[in-house]
Amino acid sequence: MAMDSITVDIVENALKNIKDEMDVTLFRSAMSPVIREQHDCFPMITDVHGQMVVGNFGSHVPEVIAHFPEGVAEGDVIFLSDPYSCGGSISHINDWMIIIPIFFSSRLVGYASMFGHVMDVGGPVPASLPVTATSIFGEGVRFPPVKLYERGKLNDAVLRIIQANTRTPLENYSDLMALVAACRTAEKRVVELCARFGPDTYQEALDELLARTNRMMRQLIQGFLPEQPVSFEDYVDDDGLGNGPFKMKLSIWREGDQAFFDWTGTDPQAQGPISYYLSDAMFKMFIGAFLISVFDPAIMFNDGFYDLLHVTTPEGSLLRPNFPAALGCRTHVLSRLFDVLSGALSLNTPENSPAAGYGTSPYFIYSGTDADGRDYHLMEVMYGGLPGRPIGDGLDGHSWWPAFVNIPTEYLETYYPLRVEYYRTGMDSGGAGLHRGGNCNEKLYTCLADGLVSIHDDRAKLQPWGINGGEPGTSSYKILIRSDGTVEHLPSKLDGVEVHKGDQVLFVTGGSGGFGDPLERHPDRVRADVARGLVSRDKAAKSYGVVFKPGTTEVDEVATEDLRRDLRETRGELAAFQFGNRDVVASSSDTM
Amino acid sequence: MYRLAVDVGGTFTDVVLQDEQSGQIVATKVPSTPEDQSRGLLAGILKICAEAHVNVSDIRTIVHGMTVATNAVLEGKGAKVGLITTAGFEQILHVARSWTPAPVTAWIAFLKPDPLADLELTRGAKERMTARGEVHVALDEASVREQISELYDAGVESLTVSLLNSYANPQHEQRIRSIAFEIDANIPVSISYEILPEFREYERTLTTVMNAYVRPVMQRYLRNVEAHLQSEGLGSRVSIVRSDGGLMSVAAASERPVHTMLSGPSGGVTAAASIGTRTGFRNVISFDMGGTSTDVALTYDGQPRVSRETKVGVFPVKSPSLEVVSIGAGGGSFAHVPLTGALRVGPQSAGAVPGPACYGRGGEEPTVTDANVLLGYLPPSLVGGEMKLDPEAAKTSVLRISEKLGIDVYRAAKGIYDIVNENMYGALRVVSVEKGYDPRQFALLALGGAGPLHANALANLAGSYPVVIPPTPGVLSALGFLESDVRNEFSRTFIQTQSQMHLETFIAELKALSEEAERWLEAEQVAKALRSVTHEVDVRYFRQGFEIPLQVSVDMLQQEGLGVLKQMFDEIHERTYGFKMDMELEVVNLRAVAVGKVTSPVAPMLALSDEDASHALVDAEHEAYFDGEFRRTPLYDRARLVPGNQVEGPAIVIQKDSTTLVLPGFVATVDVLSNLVITPVSTVVE
Repeated sequence: MAMDSITVDIVENALKNIKDEMDVTLFRSAMSPVIREQHDCFPMITDVHGQMVVGNFGSHVPEVIAHFPEGVAEGDVIFLSDPYSCGGSISHINDWMIIIPIFFSSRLVGYASMFGHVMDVGGPVPASLPVTATSIFGEGVRFPPVKLYERGKLNDAVLRIIQANTRTPLENYSDLMALVAACRTAEKRVVELCARFGPDTYQEALDELLARTNRMMRQLIQGFLPEQPVSFEDYVDDDGLGNGPFKMKLSIWREGDQAFFDWTGTDPQAQGPISYYLSDAMFKMFIGAFLISVFDPAIMFNDGFYDLLHVTTPEGSLLRPNFPAALGCRTHVLSRLFDVLSGALSLNTPENSPAAGYGTSPYFIYSGTDADGRDYHLMEVMYGGLPGRPIGDGLDGHSWWPAFVNIPTEYLETYYPLRVEYYRTGMDSGGAGLHRGGNCNEKLYTCLADGLVSIHDDRAKLQPWGINGGEPGTSSYKILIRSDGTVEHLPSKLDGVEVHKGDQVLFVTGGSGGFGDPLERHPDRVRADVARGLVSRDKAAKSYGVVFKPGTTEVDEVATEDLRRDLRETRGELAAFQFGNRDVVASSSDTM
Repeated sequence: MYRLAVDVGGTFTDVVLQDEQSGQIVATKVPSTPEDQSRGLLAGILKICAEAHVNVSDIRTIVHGMTVATNAVLEGKGAKVGLITTAGFEQILHVARSWTPAPVTAWIAFLKPDPLADLELTRGAKERMTARGEVHVALDEASVREQISELYDAGVESLTVSLLNSYANPQHEQRIRSIAFEIDANIPVSISYEILPEFREYERTLTTVMNAYVRPVMQRYLRNVEAHLQSEGLGSRVSIVRSDGGLMSVAAASERPVHTMLSGPSGGVTAAASIGTRTGFRNVISFDMGGTSTDVALTYDGQPRVSRETKVGVFPVKSPSLEVVSIGAGGGSFAHVPLTGALRVGPQSAGAVPGPACYGRGGEEPTVTDANVLLGYLPPSLVGGEMKLDPEAAKTSVLRISEKLGIDVYRAAKGIYDIVNENMYGALRVVSVEKGYDPRQFALLALGGAGPLHANALANLAGSYPVVIPPTPGVLSALGFLESDVRNEFSRTFIQTQSQMHLETFIAELKALSEEAERWLEAEQVAKALRSVTHEVDVRYFRQGFEIPLQVSVDMLQQEGLGVLKQMFDEIHERTYGFKMDMELEVVNLRAVAVGKVTSPVAPMLALSDEDASHALVDAEHEAYFDGEFRRTPLYDRARLVPGNQVEGPAIVIQKDSTTLVLPGFVATVDVLSNLVITPVSTVVE
């Protein structure tokens, strides 16, 4: 060991505190609800080489810094929003990123970086993210790495260009400055750490932190990954232009303490904007995160293990599209990636893995001009069923994304011309299981002004799968109810449908798969689900074999035992994975 | 006549008695009686009266800090609560804010607590208010009557009514309460408009449900207290300590027990503020380190910070409280070495049983206390202490981790000490730097049995000097209660942008709130001369997410107009976040804060003696570990130190309820109020 391990621990604690402080600074001063109320933002601190030592995403710093042949100086603030210029560390142009080099006594000691999803970046539709874009040029304005501040001086031209290219210049200005403020906070704190320990000791501590994670990951790889390759595939429904479903296939194996992840067999890039430019660093971080959550949630992440993971991603595929493929709606592929990763890692040990969930980040976007003549732009991230898991039931209507929260109805009704008629979770939408899959969200909005509604969702065609004998969950759907009572079914990916005062939109997200044999679930737990309105009596009987005494929520134990015996006899052997309608949907579309 | 303060904690009930004429204070402790805390309370009162030769009937007032409500929540022993909400939003507590923890995929291991009102006992009333407080759907009274009857038949003991947008118009909530009383007048009903008339439905509902959850428990307890006091012939007025450090009547506490969630910790903060002020340090960061957790709080310019959101267990509660950040780091916190080979301390802890290894009650894992014993910071035999500590057991336990780390056992113990300090420093930063305060402009005040052992080291990290160790760090909360004023807040949500607002309406709203505040002070029998009502306005940029409270007065607004709000806000925003915006301001909440001053006599100052502390030496040859080696670290008896005495570090000052560590390079001076004041040697004025 190179240095005193206690100092390393102290530096680690201090870095965690700094990261939390970055978040607090951003939430308090940013303006877009999606950052501030829903926390769609990601902080990071790197060492002097640009390796992430604490943060929630993969480092991109070296690639970005290479854009500045003159190098970076104290007081510089780098701004960018172009996924193709940072190896995909940000993956669509709505994510705005700030990078600040940190100097201690004129010596570079690291970088602070943060990105957040801003409200609107121009292009044909409000909130950007057009479903019909077929190239990145059709999605809005894209900024290559530029210096927003140069040696402490604000580059006013950049700011004016930014503001001229968005429908929400004030909000974006506030978000941008809030990102800068968060990185400045990190800068100040890292300088304090260098003053406290000396810059050499600080750097050595970072090296040791990276080395620690490396040692830990070697153990996880050897303990957890198969030596023989295993493959798993899952699908994204469509690209919004009628193409799909799109297959994603991942093969995993290890050789000694080196791990291999190969996406060969994944479909080519899409015509529509759903391709996801998967950064190697980001994917390695996801793998690490997944292993750590399953294995030892207390471990802190950093880039230290990246040289142990070897990733192959075919060029021109859904996960490594060629420029200038459109990327705006990459969330579906990004989310499905976790289902595939989880599925592949679980093939040998399914008892350790969760089923599949609502599997995307559904957005409800509503914009227009209200009765007071003020423009409104709402972008609301929706949630759904979290799948049944080894430790218990999936959560109903919760966020799959870390630390995201929903927007209070009272907030929505105060600031936007709408009324929420109900906001609840969908009965029976979670797949039955020993550990029940979480239910979807159902939200019914009444529009109180004329405007435009856009929708982004997936899992509308292919169900989220169940695991270890658990049943699949239900699919998502959207309905537009006109004020005259006419009902229109809306697709899961839709740009700017006109709505008028009095029209209603029903937004239903995906459910999630169950975990384990539903007939093993204790009848009392099924009873509680029924009494709480989360599972119907019908489903209790058909899937769980639980029967109630007539007119009560009291379990009829004898009838239940009989029914469970019959069900066990007739159903045959339980499949490890239950994919629901997948084979039907996937085979019907081979013509694309 | 006398004033008496009681702090009922988990293990001990602390009682202090103050002579109203002389200001003299005596203190005692009795074991708490968790099954019925009122018995311990009475025992404590009788004991202190006997010890001080005071007649119980000479006690004019009793100030009571409690953990009754908090424990009911933490132990899951509250009432069976029913919830009436708006139809379509029945799953409000079930879905909560949809939050799962970071990082990505951490939800796989996330366990979520059950809500305090079961979904099975939740009903949606057919009614609807708009955000502007207009009735959109009239209340279906027949149906809600049937729903309440169903809940009561199912055994509901306490009812909550929390409807959408009720902060803007409480009419339906009030009507539902009347209907509930018609069905059964004995079941308490908490309505959200009265508990928290502010927008954001989840937080309002949760806070109201928590109120309902603890209400029957609290009512039972307060009835017991009154019965016990009556039977002993005490006619004293009883005041209950609120989470924000203010006092309220027994009747008010029965209605709104959710306001007592942080009653206990608030005493320590109040005491820290007043000790700081008297000692000449109006900026104080106080930290209270106990067995399992540490509470950190900040007082700026003599005023503790009031927060409007706090956490009870895992539940976020919106009720005014003195801002306390609590972390899982205490004397009993375990040290452990996970897979990565890092040394971690907490958050798991040994609790009272088996306790640290050195207690000899069967604990084997190393704790912070074991490290302190091994390092010589905590002498195994304490003056007047009731317990002997086992240094060998401490060493054996720490060996478990030093072997894993491949380092010397003393270095490992020092590592535990350093890391727990670092963890507390993290909490200290949350209350200071994250809120825009520089900890170097604050004194550090240590409370709790373990606080003074770590205070000097923590001050070193934060640059917060001097360190102040009050005479009785162990019973400081009860002392703080004697300093509490009668206090309450009256607020309402008032969402308007600056351009929509009229000065007259705005001032009329503020005045309506202050009238309500005045009526409450009247009901609490506060003499006119001792009353004060101040105003606060929560503002932000239009549609921004977080508000900043501004102190305003009607006079100021009348003279300078509403524009002054924008000036004040821009200035704070720029100072805190580094930028301000050319954007309209929006008012969110208006508030009147009612305070009834309670006069408390001050203990007399003592005369200064000389610097020589040698008369207090207990063991001149004691050794403790600093910077890689053991050094001579004399032990002093705090009881024998007098004002003016100086103790040079390294040294340890021992007393019955605590132990103070003075690090090398520091000196501790006893001030005229008997505080130990620790400063770096270089700054001592000769």
